[in-house]
Amino acid sequence: MAFFMQQVVNALQRGSFYALIALGYSMVYGVLMLFNFAHGDVFMVGAYIGFFVSSGLLALSAVGFLSLPTGVTLALVLVLTLIISMLLNSVVGMLVERIGYRPLRGAPRASAAITGLMIGIILETSNLALLGAQRRSFPDLIPGETIHVLGVNITPKKIVIVAVSLLLMFGLHLFVRRTKWGMAMRAMAYDYVVVPLMGVSINTIALLTFGLGSALAAAAGILYGVAYPVLDPYMGVLFGWKAFVAAIVGGRGSVLGAGLAGFLLGFIEIFVAAFLPSTMRDLIAFSIILVILTFRPHGFFGEPYSAQLRL
Amino acid sequence: MSADENLRQRLSSVGRRVRQWLRVQFSPVPLLGWFLAALVAVILEMLVGTPLARLLGMSKFPVLFGFALALAQPVYIPSAIVYVLLIYVLPVALVARLSIRLGNLLAGWLMRTSPLLSVVVHLGLLYGTLHLWAGLSDYRVLVVRLMLIAIMLTLSLNVVNGYMGEFSCSHPGFMALGAYAASLFSVLFFVGNDAFGAPLLPIGLGPFLFPLGLILGGAVAALGALLVAIPSFRTRGDYLAIISLAFMFIIKSLFENLEFLGGARGLSGQPDWASLPVVFAWTILCVWTINNFVRSTVGKALNAVRDGELAADAMTVDTRRTKMVAFFFAAFWAGVAGGLFAHVLRYVNPGTFDLKKLAEVLAMVYLGGLNSVVGSIVGAVSYNLLSEALRPLELYKWIIIPLLFIMVMIFRPTGLIAFREFDVVKLLHPREGTPGHAGPGAVEPQAER
Amino acid sequence: MTLLRVDDMTHWFGGLQAVSGYNVAIEPGQIRGLIGPNGAGKTTVFNLITGRYRPTEGHIFLDGQEITGLPPHKIASMGLGRTFQNLRLWRHMTVLEHVKMARYSKITYGLAGAFFGTARRNREEDDIETRARELLELVGAVDWADHIVTNLPYGMQRRVELARALAIQPKILFLDEPTAGMNPEELVQMMEIVRLVHEQLGLAIFLIEHRMKVVMDLCEVIQTLVFGQVIAEGTPDEIRNDPRVIEAYLGKEVMA
Repeated sequence: MAFFMQQVVNALQRGSFYALIALGYSMVYGVLMLFNFAHGDVFMVGAYIGFFVSSGLLALSAVGFLSLPTGVTLALVLVLTLIISMLLNSVVGMLVERIGYRPLRGAPRASAAITGLMIGIILETSNLALLGAQRRSFPDLIPGETIHVLGVNITPKKIVIVAVSLLLMFGLHLFVRRTKWGMAMRAMAYDYVVVPLMGVSINTIALLTFGLGSALAAAAGILYGVAYPVLDPYMGVLFGWKAFVAAIVGGRGSVLGAGLAGFLLGFIEIFVAAFLPSTMRDLIAFSIILVILTFRPHGFFGEPYSAQLRL
Repeated sequence: MSADENLRQRLSSVGRRVRQWLRVQFSPVPLLGWFLAALVAVILEMLVGTPLARLLGMSKFPVLFGFALALAQPVYIPSAIVYVLLIYVLPVALVARLSIRLGNLLAGWLMRTSPLLSVVVHLGLLYGTLHLWAGLSDYRVLVVRLMLIAIMLTLSLNVVNGYMGEFSCSHPGFMALGAYAASLFSVLFFVGNDAFGAPLLPIGLGPFLFPLGLILGGAVAALGALLVAIPSFRTRGDYLAIISLAFMFIIKSLFENLEFLGGARGLSGQPDWASLPVVFAWTILCVWTINNFVRSTVGKALNAVRDGELAADAMTVDTRRTKMVAFFFAAFWAGVAGGLFAHVLRYVNPGTFDLKKLAEVLAMVYLGGLNSVVGSIVGAVSYNLLSEALRPLELYKWIIIPLLFIMVMIFRPTGLIAFREFDVVKLLHPREGTPGHAGPGAVEPQAER
Repeated sequence: MTLLRVDDMTHWFGGLQAVSGYNVAIEPGQIRGLIGPNGAGKTTVFNLITGRYRPTEGHIFLDGQEITGLPPHKIASMGLGRTFQNLRLWRHMTVLEHVKMARYSKITYGLAGAFFGTARRNREEDDIETRARELLELVGAVDWADHIVTNLPYGMQRRVELARALAIQPKILFLDEPTAGMNPEELVQMMEIVRLVHEQLGLAIFLIEHRMKVVMDLCEVIQTLVFGQVIAEGTPDEIRNDPRVIEAYLGKEVMA
């Protein structure tokens, strides 16, 4: 039982990353009907931005810029890192939209998707070219003793990671439901044509969508760095594609669906690895997804769309 | 009018005149003439390539038109340019221009005698040129074989993503199925290893039964396609994209877990049966059948399904069958390509058939042009040449190629040569008496998407 | 013998009854009209008979065979051709390819022919092409044969759609507002063509129209559909003077 609960805790942590990344895919897909294949690499960029921001902040505090108790400093650094990196990474996401996707607004959607793929490759390679091949280790922002609860090992890291992800997802949910901008995004997901009628330009909404998704990806990157403190330029590739699949399983444009599907993927992966050889992980995870999609073609919360979609 | 603008106008008028002159000089050259000219250039390289390269200060002749050399050691740029001019550009232009009368006479005679003969002669010339050119270095042989395989992959994916207008990501998976099935065939029957024991048949039979192995690879891939097609083609939309992506991951992961096929380490020991002529023949067969298919009314039903499924249905087109057939057909050829690939490298491992392969195949399809056989050939060849030529840049290659690709997408969103019909017989006709007829390539440009 | 018979066809969209208790019997060679205000369910009737939707209740017979619930392409290949209210042409294909495509179910060369370009395939494709050109000739669009369909003027696109529907060799042709969006000149031409097609090929025609003049001129029998129910059926004269029809169309100048 303790073993089982331990896996649940691990799965929640892993699912958090997938969920946060999946949200970015899901939003772009829902609002713009685009596959943003660069998103996994935007996640990677977010992790690196987080690395530099947090290292910088720690260096500042080390030279006595802030003289607070260590615990408070680290907490402050974490919060500041999250905020600054999310802002910076949303700029990255908007640049991707502006450079790669906007010129292709009228083109077949598949051309835009492949362009996204190429932007992803450019991001990976530029990172490698600028920073070299050595891996970076993310500073330990959430130290702390492991707590044993009923035989389950819980680290403060895991608690913070899951809490922050859930908080961000809830925030996004509120944003999409309650604000004028969120309404515009949902309207656009419903019908491309109505948005200009609302006095909002498609380009603005597109930027907003990419910006939000990238901010969440940055958060995912930082939390990932906290959990597995090794960064490398290709970390976003497989992670990103898996999150993409999760986004689709969640249903087109559904915040709740993408979040749930992200956690589901985390659970499947952790539990497969716990009971079977870890090489079987992808095989089983994707087979389950294939089965889910066979029986629920539009995902958990997606609605069938009748519009003729052309790639 | 500013001086700058004036200059620009003068330049553009010069450019126009140059183009005009080139058209007048070279438009009457039939395809046969170009092929002959290429053959002459290659023979020239065989005879004087190395001495000329020495004369120009290079240690050996530039293998790929001097691109790699020029990028690796910029001092050699002038030498490389001179070499390419002397060996390729000038002889080709000269022979093509001078052989206009002879070439057209010959092409006309061939065509009148039998179009089939004409096709055979053209293919023979093309293969001869390729064989001699590649024969000068092992590297060239490898590049050409991989390029031909890339053509098969690109073209077969174009059937699904271009002609049918869906978005399939499963091609690396089909390729893997084909590669492993064909490898298993070869190793089990003719080579043997620790896992399978002694070979079941004498190896001498191998090269003759190799086509069976490849067909088996294609068939296994088509069988795998069933797994994607059944759930995917019930509804339209982006469904296939996700299912096929999941399928790709499943296949890769499956082979990683199949210990008797070497698991993640891969399977080696494939005999060297995928020689240049074998790969060439299969590529021609692939291009031929796919071109036949997409030009028939049965194949054009794909376009009808893509551009309006309702109307297609109401016009007696069995839309589901149409999609299934095309998908299996594409998977079959991807499987054959995979089998050849495994026998060219004589090693296969699951890691090869990953996202990178997917990005590559997709890039070749969309670069070359949707719904176009010529486009796919151009896409595969240019991508492979570019990739080889930029190799000396190492890391930066992977910035330049994506940037180039994005540029192409921005200026030609459907790819370089999209929506063209590839009429081979028309291409082989003599050109004389039809000045202004555009050079070789596809006929009858159709509307842009 | 009746060519097309529909017995008590009813269809629900969710909780909405779109068509209720619909009956029709069309004889070979007959031209029949279906009129009714917007949203009366005329196109739904077409979509039900042609197999795009499966009727909730009722039976449909074509040439004595039951076709209820068959997929559209099967029904079409049994001899039911149709055009669409909003043109549904294939935007990357030429006019000739459009008409050839409608011969799909009659092609016998199979996949082997398609892949290997057999002599039989070439022969058959040539035959189809000849026939397609004849049909284009008939509707007066043969000069456009090799053009991409989107480059044609609107009226010409309608003719292509008609030729395409004829290429399946229909016994009965469903025309869904064949003159929608046409100017008066194009309209007159279209009516001529429909008449010509009817005379030359001797097929039955089932016509949805908005413009009364077209229906009254062409049709032998007309049905009026309101809220999914047939409220009147009869000759043009009877329909013209039927008080229920006048009420449904109250204030419409077209009744003149």
